[in-house]
Amino acid sequence: MNQMKPNTMLSINNLTVEVEGKTILHGLDLEIGKGEVHAIMGPNGSGKSTLSHTLSGRDGYQVTAGEALLDGEDLLSLETEERAHRGVFLAMQYPVELPGVNNMTFMRESLNAVRRARGEEELDAVSFIKLVRAKAAEVKLDPKLLKRDVNSGFSGGEKKRNEILQMALLEPRLAILDETDSGLDIDALRIVADGINALRSPDRSIILITHYQRLLDYIEPDFVHVLSEGRIVRSGDKQLALKLEEQGYGWITEEEEAA
Amino acid sequence: MITLDRQHSWFEQQLAAGRAQSLPQAPQWLQLAREDAIEAATQLPLHNRQHEAWRYTSIEGLLRASFTGDEQAHQQNQATIDDLLPPESDSHRVVLVNGQFNARLSTLADLPPGVRLESLRTALAADPDLLASWFGSIANHSESIFSALNTALINDGLFIHIDQDIELQQPIEVVYLNSGLNLSEDKQLMMHPRNLVVLQPGAKATLVERFVGAAPSRYFHNNLTEISLQQNAALKHYRIQDESRNAWHLSSISIEQQSHSDYRGVTLAFGGAWARTEYHLDFNNEHASCALHGLYLVGDKQLTDFHLTVKHRAADCRSREQFKGILYGGGRAVFDGHILVDKDAQRSDAQLSNHNLMLTRDAEVDTKPTLEIYADDVKCSHGTTIGQLDPQQLFYMRSRGIDETTARSMLCQGFAQEIIDQIDLQPLREQATERLVASLERVQPEIGR
Repeated sequence: MNQMKPNTMLSINNLTVEVEGKTILHGLDLEIGKGEVHAIMGPNGSGKSTLSHTLSGRDGYQVTAGEALLDGEDLLSLETEERAHRGVFLAMQYPVELPGVNNMTFMRESLNAVRRARGEEELDAVSFIKLVRAKAAEVKLDPKLLKRDVNSGFSGGEKKRNEILQMALLEPRLAILDETDSGLDIDALRIVADGINALRSPDRSIILITHYQRLLDYIEPDFVHVLSEGRIVRSGDKQLALKLEEQGYGWITEEEEAA
Repeated sequence: MITLDRQHSWFEQQLAAGRAQSLPQAPQWLQLAREDAIEAATQLPLHNRQHEAWRYTSIEGLLRASFTGDEQAHQQNQATIDDLLPPESDSHRVVLVNGQFNARLSTLADLPPGVRLESLRTALAADPDLLASWFGSIANHSESIFSALNTALINDGLFIHIDQDIELQQPIEVVYLNSGLNLSEDKQLMMHPRNLVVLQPGAKATLVERFVGAAPSRYFHNNLTEISLQQNAALKHYRIQDESRNAWHLSSISIEQQSHSDYRGVTLAFGGAWARTEYHLDFNNEHASCALHGLYLVGDKQLTDFHLTVKHRAADCRSREQFKGILYGGGRAVFDGHILVDKDAQRSDAQLSNHNLMLTRDAEVDTKPTLEIYADDVKCSHGTTIGQLDPQQLFYMRSRGIDETTARSMLCQGFAQEIIDQIDLQPLREQATERLVASLERVQPEIGR
């Protein structure tokens, strides 16, 4: 059992999730403190994306046992948009294209929905444009892309930068980055990582879901966890990620079986 | 079930009901046209499922109703008019109240030289010979019992004639204010506006038609428009059909194009219980082009029908038709798009598409794009899709804090906006967008999950 730490932001206990009748997460435990960066690694099919989708409330992910508490509140009973209002942000592995929906309009609608939920004033068009231009410059997103339809015809790197831009605008408390490094060349990876690093703060926790140690060269995690068959089987610091890079996942599963 | 007898007797009844009001002292050629139309109507086959043009569009409800053309009923009270009239715009405005020209509401001053814009009645009195040379030359005006009825009961409408090389800067805006108020259940108003639009060689103009109806009223609006675009003429033609949700609406538009002429149409359908729009477009000479973009939003107790026939009769012409529909509740739509390429119409370039977004299980669309090609060197394509909102898109938007209703509405608007964006008059484009968004926001909660 996890010890409840005083600065806990997210507490996941015994989380068990089925997808299409098949159990993918088998009683997962994870504790994430305020301001911490946790990397979750693991082989294909270990349940990494299931975890991120369950936390953000995607349909089709059936929670059969366990809980996930954000600041002590039951996250799993909230609608997807309510989770966003509470400060959960999921940067997707495959950001969805929204043909006909203007990127700027989309982001303004999104930010104002979150601001309304927080009891803050909505931003008018002019203030929003100023804000989004400044943030876009920070993540080196071509301002022309703001005028296009959301993600439509964007390159892989542009889509990921567009995700980080939304994260920068929404200022989430808990950001989940699902394989944000996939499909990026080294330059794009650096830009995206810089964007994420710029958002590190004592009030913001980050979960990095990744296959590869490579991303962790740019974003240094406080903790590294290995997910296997739907459970966290090993936790450590960044040294663990380096060991995985050298030796693969095999040694962990062998130790598991031996134990 | 309707029968041929029933169809004939309905036609006769409406003819009798409307005849007293039809235009007095018509010139002889017009009298002949009327008689021809009446004669033709008796020869028409039954407009039922066996008739391809009426296969998916039942006229049974219309044939159960009976109508009057009573002149008294054409009088509208001022409150209704103020309520219905669209905001003033920078245009030459013509208002037809229940099918009749209303001089007081129209603004026909300041027409530049070379431009005639007047009621059909005025034009018939002033220059019958000019009308005679065009009237009925573009449309087959007894193709259906409804076009025959329009011809037989000609009463009023619009005449637009633009001289050679004149470019009309301000758009012409025609507003059809319709209402059947103050009439009993079994007698509803019918109106048959008849329009003739002639652009002489090199002439250019923008024509906006708006159909508005008093909310709960039932009536039958049956207009017929003939448009001739002479060599190098260019017309932009925008139509917004926003009739009463209880009304029957039929628009039949026939367009003939001469060489190097250009027709750009945007047609939006929101209203009506039963609303059909027919476009008959003929390329009669080489290097002409047309682009027609349509959008329909169809909900419970509504049938919206678009019938397009584009005939490439000459070489090197280009046609584009793109129609999109959003259906919800028990809404029904029909799309029948036909492109014909004659044997001699080489190097024809034609594209036809129809995409439908179904928001509910009960909505239904019958879509039938067809190509009929006799030339051997052509570039033609057609495509049609029927789909639903994508759950992945909805999830993505909700994960950004946008509630489901708003997300659905934004996706629908995203689907439809590209059609509205084809309107290049900014105020009209904005009004059309507002109209769409208002409807989408109203319907989304009804649809639920």
